[in-house]
Amino acid sequence: MAHRGAERDFQTSARRMGTSLLFQLSVHERELDLVFLDHSYAKPWSAHPDASSARPTRMLFVTPRRQHETTIESEVPIDVETVTSTPVPLYDNQKARSVMNECERHVIFARTDADAPPPPEDWEEHVNRTGWTMAQNKLFNKILKALQSDRLARLANEGACNEPVLRRVAVDKCARRVRQALASVSWDTKLIQWLHTTLVETLSLPMLAAYLDALQTLKGKIPTLIDRMLVSSNTKTGAAGAEALSLLLKRPWDPAVGVLSHNKPSKLPGSPLILIASSGPSSSVFPTSRRHRFWQSQLSCLGKVIPVTTHLLNNGSGVGVLQCLEHMIGAVRSKVLEIHSHFPHKPIILIGWNTGALVTCHVSLMEYVTAVVCLGFPLLTVDGPRGDVDDPLLDMKTPVLFVIGQNSLQCHPEAMEDFREKIRAENSLVVVGGADDNLRISKAKKKSEGLTQSMVDRCIQDEIVDFLTGVLTRAEGHVGSEPRDLDAEKKKKPRDMTRRDLAFEIPDRASRPASPAAKLPASPSGSEDLSSVSSSPTSSPKTKVTTVASVQKSSQIGTSQLLKRHVQRTEAVLTHKQAQVPISSEQAEEAEKEDLRVQLKRHHPSSPLPGSKGSKRPKIKVSLISQGETVGGSTPSQVGTPEVTGGKPITMTLGQASAGAKELTGLLTTAKLNASEGGVSTSPASSVVSSSTTPSALHTLQSRLVATSTGSTLPGATSASSLLQGLSFSLQDISSKTSGLPANPSPGPAPQATSVKLPAPMQSLGTITTGTSTIVRTIPVATTLSSLGANSGGKPTAIHQLLTNGGLAKLASSLPGLAQISNQASGLKVPTTITLTLRGQPSRITTLSPMGSGAALSEESTSHVLPSSTQRLPPAP
Amino acid sequence: MATEESGVAGAEPTLSSDSGSKQESVKPNYALKFTLAGHTEAVSAVKFSPNGEWLASSSADKLIIIWGAYDGKHEKTFYGHNLEISDIAWSSDSSRLISASDDRTLKLWDVSSGKCLKTLKGHNNYVFCCNFNPPSNLIVSGSFDESMKIWEVKTGKCLKTLSAHSDPVSAVDFNCSGSLIVSGSYDGVCRIWDAASGQCLKALIVDDNPPVSFVKFSPNGKYILTATLDNTLKLWDYSRNRCLKTYTGHKNEKYCIFASFSVTGGKWIVSGSEDNLVYIWNLQTKEVVQKLQGHTDTVISAVCHPTENIIASAALENDKTIKLWISNY
Repeated sequence: MAHRGAERDFQTSARRMGTSLLFQLSVHERELDLVFLDHSYAKPWSAHPDASSARPTRMLFVTPRRQHETTIESEVPIDVETVTSTPVPLYDNQKARSVMNECERHVIFARTDADAPPPPEDWEEHVNRTGWTMAQNKLFNKILKALQSDRLARLANEGACNEPVLRRVAVDKCARRVRQALASVSWDTKLIQWLHTTLVETLSLPMLAAYLDALQTLKGKIPTLIDRMLVSSNTKTGAAGAEALSLLLKRPWDPAVGVLSHNKPSKLPGSPLILIASSGPSSSVFPTSRRHRFWQSQLSCLGKVIPVTTHLLNNGSGVGVLQCLEHMIGAVRSKVLEIHSHFPHKPIILIGWNTGALVTCHVSLMEYVTAVVCLGFPLLTVDGPRGDVDDPLLDMKTPVLFVIGQNSLQCHPEAMEDFREKIRAENSLVVVGGADDNLRISKAKKKSEGLTQSMVDRCIQDEIVDFLTGVLTRAEGHVGSEPRDLDAEKKKKPRDMTRRDLAFEIPDRASRPASPAAKLPASPSGSEDLSSVSSSPTSSPKTKVTTVASVQKSSQIGTSQLLKRHVQRTEAVLTHKQAQVPISSEQAEEAEKEDLRVQLKRHHPSSPLPGSKGSKRPKIKVSLISQGETVGGSTPSQVGTPEVTGGKPITMTLGQASAGAKELTGLLTTAKLNASEGGVSTSPASSVVSSSTTPSALHTLQSRLVATSTGSTLPGATSASSLLQGLSFSLQDISSKTSGLPANPSPGPAPQATSVKLPAPMQSLGTITTGTSTIVRTIPVATTLSSLGANSGGKPTAIHQLLTNGGLAKLASSLPGLAQISNQASGLKVPTTITLTLRGQPSRITTLSPMGSGAALSEESTSHVLPSSTQRLPPAP
Repeated sequence: MATEESGVAGAEPTLSSDSGSKQESVKPNYALKFTLAGHTEAVSAVKFSPNGEWLASSSADKLIIIWGAYDGKHEKTFYGHNLEISDIAWSSDSSRLISASDDRTLKLWDVSSGKCLKTLKGHNNYVFCCNFNPPSNLIVSGSFDESMKIWEVKTGKCLKTLSAHSDPVSAVDFNCSGSLIVSGSYDGVCRIWDAASGQCLKALIVDDNPPVSFVKFSPNGKYILTATLDNTLKLWDYSRNRCLKTYTGHKNEKYCIFASFSVTGGKWIVSGSEDNLVYIWNLQTKEVVQKLQGHTDTVISAVCHPTENIIASAALENDKTIKLWISNY
């Protein structure tokens, strides 16, 4: 049989290279284009019907799942002859083959004795193993096996149309095995130097070439170790040989090298500044990954790149994850501000990987930036996907591009679509087929599609350029236009927000369409005004969270997940603040305190601890943690969790026991009692709601909340956590919310709020549980704290100041102090505290709870129904 | 020694005339052209060289004989194996030949000189089947030791041993791109392997798994043809684990009989049979379109010429001859 067309028509390939790389690479894009060709007036078929701001998803290298015809009629002629034409490789095949064989061509450089005849083909038999130690034999055999596998792969792939890619994959595999073998001897210097010398002396030329290929690959990854290995041979071969070898090993070859270097992406219009948010604190021990460094240089082709790193004091010891996140957000934010002041007209683009992507999103909520690019966006958290109603990310107004891997663990394309449709900002999504969280494609994908990571990276970059160009040109267009221009105004709004006091901002948020209220003259002092209680939304997240990193969570997922929690709380704060907007009297405060005290007594014996469970399943979680003390015989034990043991969170789902639901209701009833006390007095609105005749107290509460939410579109208002928050804040808040919210569109109450100095932020302090290191999602407890703090005198102001000035960072650093307070508090009244973590959308729960008490729901159906309730808020009636 | 036949003596169309009107039931009309005698024991395999010049045959008499493909002339005889030879295969450039023998070795032959270049040792039992990959830098062999080995042609070293069958391996074949290997075994399983890594990608198992006696990729590598010892040939779409066609009518319960795709004229499936006939099926309609009569023992091997309408068939020890059949289709 004739050899397969080893040299593909290079010219075709070259000609095709002339067009956009992306166009050729992502074949599947064209299906969409075909529809456009015929029906240019139509919306793209993949456009989401409800989400006009979400642009259709772009698929990169995603293999479409074609439906196979289910039945094959035997009449269909079977073609056993025609060979499916293999696609022309997308890289310069000739060049790729040339670089591929680099090591083979220069293998002679590695020979210590170039004049000696090369070892024969049956070199293996001639290897003199006498005097070898066991370790040497073992290591040698391991390497040999790796090289043999590599040899097989080389031979088997010979002549294949995408041979360079297949070879690259095989060499990577071989390098990995060699590295494993070397690591198995802990890179023992003596041993590896011996190994290198022996291999160079004994291996046949083809095998030696394979070995050099592996070395070359490893050199790129672990240069110092490889250098150490080569030292001895260098002294033997002499300078020339060593130099040639080091030149050969300089960097691993890449099949796509020529193509990519010939088609350099052009700079973005408007010479934007690209800020790269790090995805973690920088540290000397763990330098930034090569991949991120590589991308940094990639992006520098597009514009000026400014990496933002976060340094932690004391090498990060004793710094919690959330503090760290705050640091990161703060660092990016201050950089943005700095750039704004230095280059007021330069567009700023935020780019981040993984957690860094979240950081960029949050910064875009605080500061005005032109666009945000999220690479490997971590959508999924242990609590389920982001995009809960109270997720501030949904309020983003900056155009954002998400790039996710199809096989990402932290993201899922479908969930991403759900998320996207809820985002108000113009957003795009690129799904990279077969890629992971870091957008690296799998080996199988490389093989089957003849791709290299560099090609994929380039395509991602092209997508980024595509997106940014669109955004930037539009932004530029608006610069010259009339300032009242609606679009321009929208663009400016984020910036305004940061300047505005919360009081101004809230109505703006509550009434989404830019209402006249939103255009009220903003007080520019807001965000920086330390004395102002209602801090800007930017600092509001900081006021809230005093959570210490949960130890169980590990690194990244934990981080992003925490960030999410943090985020939720942020929203909760907002709702809370919003709630206090209309309250202007001191009595309100008093009433609240009173209320809290009542509550305090009732909730006396248990302490809060987050259900740190992945909450796909349980939607109503009652997490009761006693603080090592006996579980008090009061309310919590009636809740039906007698098995509460010290420090252990107990999670109860509605579905598990209908009784549980009842009891929960019962608990809520007691809580509600306090709430309604204050509530009725202050707000007629709430009394209207609470007059609903539903027997279940829970229902009542919820319906009230629902009613609240109907008044406004504010997402946070309906969240279950805010419900609980409301519980512990006393109904006053809720009622004020109800009364306040309808009033929101009118600018009236807003200015009042500025003057109000309520201890609200304090109430929203996270809980500090003593002793255990697991504090996470605690909302209401702080209420008790703050009230206690208020009682004990002096303290509240301290906290207050902390909250207002410093934001989370300072707050967190003063954690010990807070813990003291908590201790003190417990000494006073509250030995332990209780947290109810209600997740889920109340109205849904409302419907569920009767069911739960009536007919026992099957576990499955509950868990099926409930998750959606957290994610999606049905439109308010 | 080749004996030329006159006319169409041995060929006997077997189909009834009523199906002759249909387009797809056109007859191949193969007729016996030569009878090649030379082996002194049962012939085990015949193969045409990829360039169409030669026909190689292996036999239980430990010899390999090279014949002229068009004239049936005896060209060369290779001596070297100590025991019976079960299979032979050509390299893509027709310059090398690999033979698998019961002496547990494979031998690599230089066709022009007739020299044995390498002896591949490593199997622990009879080597039963062998094949080159398309670039002919690798050889795959299957053995009664239930393993397959992949050898480097250049060095004669075994690069990989694949052990995944639980019975003797009866056939091995590379696909046209050389990326896949298919193997069949008496354990009733067909496996598809990744040639580069030696990983098993797929296993085709039929319900009542009869021993698989032969497997082969279609010329384009999209399908595989399997023979099982229940008188059945099947054409599989292995990517979907689906049997597309079943060819029956012949007798095959005992021997590993070679089958092949005939694509030079009409599209046929050609196989030997234990009733001493060569069967030709229409690939699409699964009808038997011709039976070639002439051998006096089980036809162990029937292969098709790469470019001409020539079929070579070989029979076991009561016959010991190779017959060349030619069609003017």
